[in-house]
Amino acid sequence: MRNVAIISVGYNGRFVAKRPDVNIPELIQPAVANAIKKTKLKYSDIGVVVEGNMPTFEGINYPHLWFSDHIGAAGKPVLRISTGGTTGMSVFQGGYYCVASGMFDVAMVIGWEKHDEGDAQVGLIGIVLPEAFSMFQFGPDMGGGGTGMMGGLSSTGGASFQALSYLHRAKGTPDHIDKMAAQARSNAAKNPYAHLQHPNCTAADIAKTPMVSYPLRYGHTCPASCGACVMLLVAEEKVKKFADTDRVAWVKAVATASSDATTGNLVDGQINDPAEQAICEKIAAPKAYKMAGIQNPKKEIQMCEVYDGFAHQELMWPEKLHLVDNSCKAIDEGRLAIDGDMPVNPSGGVVSTNAIGASAMVRVAEASLQIMGMAEGGHQVPRRVKNALAHGWGGLFQFVTITILGDEPVKR
Amino acid sequence: MDRKVAIVGYKQTKYLEQNENPRERMVMNLVQSLLQDMKITRDDIGTFILSCSDFQDGRTISECFMIPWVGAYMKDVSKVDSDSANAVLYAMMRILSGNYETALVVSWAMGGSEFRSPRVMDFELDPIYERQAKLVNEITAAALQAQAYMAKSKLTEEQLAALAVKNLRNGARNPLALRKKADATAKDILSSRPLASPLRELHAYTPADGACAVLLASEEKARELTKNPVWIKGVGFCQDTYYLGERDLVKMDSLQKAAKTAYKMAGITDPAKKIGVSELHTTFVSQEPIFAEALGLIPKNAGPNAVSKGALEIEGKTPINPSGGPQAANPLMVSGLIRIAEACTQLRGEAGEHQVKKTPRLALAHGQIGMAAQHNVVFVLGN
Repeated sequence: MRNVAIISVGYNGRFVAKRPDVNIPELIQPAVANAIKKTKLKYSDIGVVVEGNMPTFEGINYPHLWFSDHIGAAGKPVLRISTGGTTGMSVFQGGYYCVASGMFDVAMVIGWEKHDEGDAQVGLIGIVLPEAFSMFQFGPDMGGGGTGMMGGLSSTGGASFQALSYLHRAKGTPDHIDKMAAQARSNAAKNPYAHLQHPNCTAADIAKTPMVSYPLRYGHTCPASCGACVMLLVAEEKVKKFADTDRVAWVKAVATASSDATTGNLVDGQINDPAEQAICEKIAAPKAYKMAGIQNPKKEIQMCEVYDGFAHQELMWPEKLHLVDNSCKAIDEGRLAIDGDMPVNPSGGVVSTNAIGASAMVRVAEASLQIMGMAEGGHQVPRRVKNALAHGWGGLFQFVTITILGDEPVKR
Repeated sequence: MDRKVAIVGYKQTKYLEQNENPRERMVMNLVQSLLQDMKITRDDIGTFILSCSDFQDGRTISECFMIPWVGAYMKDVSKVDSDSANAVLYAMMRILSGNYETALVVSWAMGGSEFRSPRVMDFELDPIYERQAKLVNEITAAALQAQAYMAKSKLTEEQLAALAVKNLRNGARNPLALRKKADATAKDILSSRPLASPLRELHAYTPADGACAVLLASEEKARELTKNPVWIKGVGFCQDTYYLGERDLVKMDSLQKAAKTAYKMAGITDPAKKIGVSELHTTFVSQEPIFAEALGLIPKNAGPNAVSKGALEIEGKTPINPSGGPQAANPLMVSGLIRIAEACTQLRGEAGEHQVKKTPRLALAHGQIGMAAQHNVVFVLGN
């Protein structure tokens, strides 16, 4: 297996709610230019482009056919991968396999979303509504997503169920979610690319926001952002030739797993609960640690970027990833802060910036910037980051992707 | 690349205008029967690569509810949102990396009963100019391409009809096909409903419901699983520029580049001689000679000659789409995977009535998406 390095990260600029001044290719192009600028690569050196977003959100099928012209990808192999919330990391892992397989030396990966050109909520209800129609047509023994929808399982409905279930298991209170959200918003203020920046945000500020679906408040939810993230992946033997820095981030492990979509379904003898996440805890995370050669993740990993569409997930995921025993305790002790012993989402996370097709890739990008020591605006973790973990979830709380990065390649 | 990847098993559904089952059950039956044939369980599969489209399925994150039905519950899954031949490519790269030994590629679409083109294909257009102008769609783009080719190579409308006749007759010999016309004549084709000159209804693909599954394995695992693996010898993919006016629709740069990469990897210098049979994803029959030329299967501008000599027939020198191709049945994006499965059937000599005369040593399979085949994938398979 070839080792693969991330040599550069590019954003189009700050993620914001609306970009009426640009169209989709114009949104993506600056991110590509910014990524290439920081390397010794030329456009012609790029062997393959892997791209993805949520296709229904902007109402364009196969958008890469159209925008590839504007990013120098015409006449190149282009692969499109799209897996819901995990899209960004699935695209990244697609790029990783393009290089690791030996087929290409340089891959460019692009995750993007332009939320102002569509309606994310309409897009999201399109997950479960067709399943409900399918039930009317073929009978209730079909997948059962309709039951979920009738029980209010849109993304927020499902997330509030997950939050309650999580708090019950972790013996936490809604105050812990307030604290976590406040930390995310304050961290975001130190990240020049983050969308919702709120310097020195306190738990009391979050507690003042309106209730959306108990226990989740408006302040616990993510925005819909416009933005693009680009990364350049290079095979080990080409790193010296193309990288413009000594500190590159090495891909140590990639893992992914999927479960059933339906909350409440009885599968393999247990009821499917979105707060359970056995796919992460028991399948993907152990697989990733094994591939990366990490025995004690709590000690060997110095920071993590998790996909927290809702603030309680920023508490839940580090536990499921075996990085923290009890996040509610850890946040009380300040251990999850940028200068804590397990910084979670120094970038502000998805709860502060969510351009869906980019979000899971931004987790990898931020983790790699932490390893390269290039996180801008004061969100760099003070101690040296040797290993970092990036995580994404998607679908109806049912997909999980994990990437582990390190400051040196794994000897295989 | 020190590893080799083989296709060890494949299975197709029957292609229907409306499948009697919902897609979940259709796909479950398909995957189950493939696993039974291979005498393995879902636990033997390292990674699942799905290929489906939110637009063609009419739902956001179209694989979301399909995870248990493809057998991927608690397993490693990803999805390629493009022609399903791309999914085989991705599965192959995953095996080449050394991370996996086996990969199952599954693709489905309800192209016949639910999301019929060209309506759904219009969402591929750029939303600012072309979608508003309503001039370009997959029919008009293919018609422009056909006109350009006919002007250049002097292919006549009768010869174009003869190609359509060939595919409908081939389809009649394929038990899975949807549109079968054993006694089709050029007159039938030329009197079918006009779409955009020179294209008519019987030149076009037949939208269908259907699914296809292909199992890939590394060299060691392949020898364990089957006696006659089909090896992926070469593969190439490439995307052309978007706007029709900026492309040479006859020359097909992206297809040529994809083919060049695939042939180089397979070590082929003379594809016309070496490749025994080809399965091409031709949305309209007019693309058959265009693709064949770009792929180097027939000489430049030799389309009319090849048609009148019957070279592209099952019994001919360069058989193309012995299964009937997309003219016989086309479940939209599943088509690329079907072409690969059909090429494997030919290589293994299992095609029955539509088997080419001399069992080939090398076969070519092709997948595409976009207006006038903007994005192309080429596979060279061999036993």
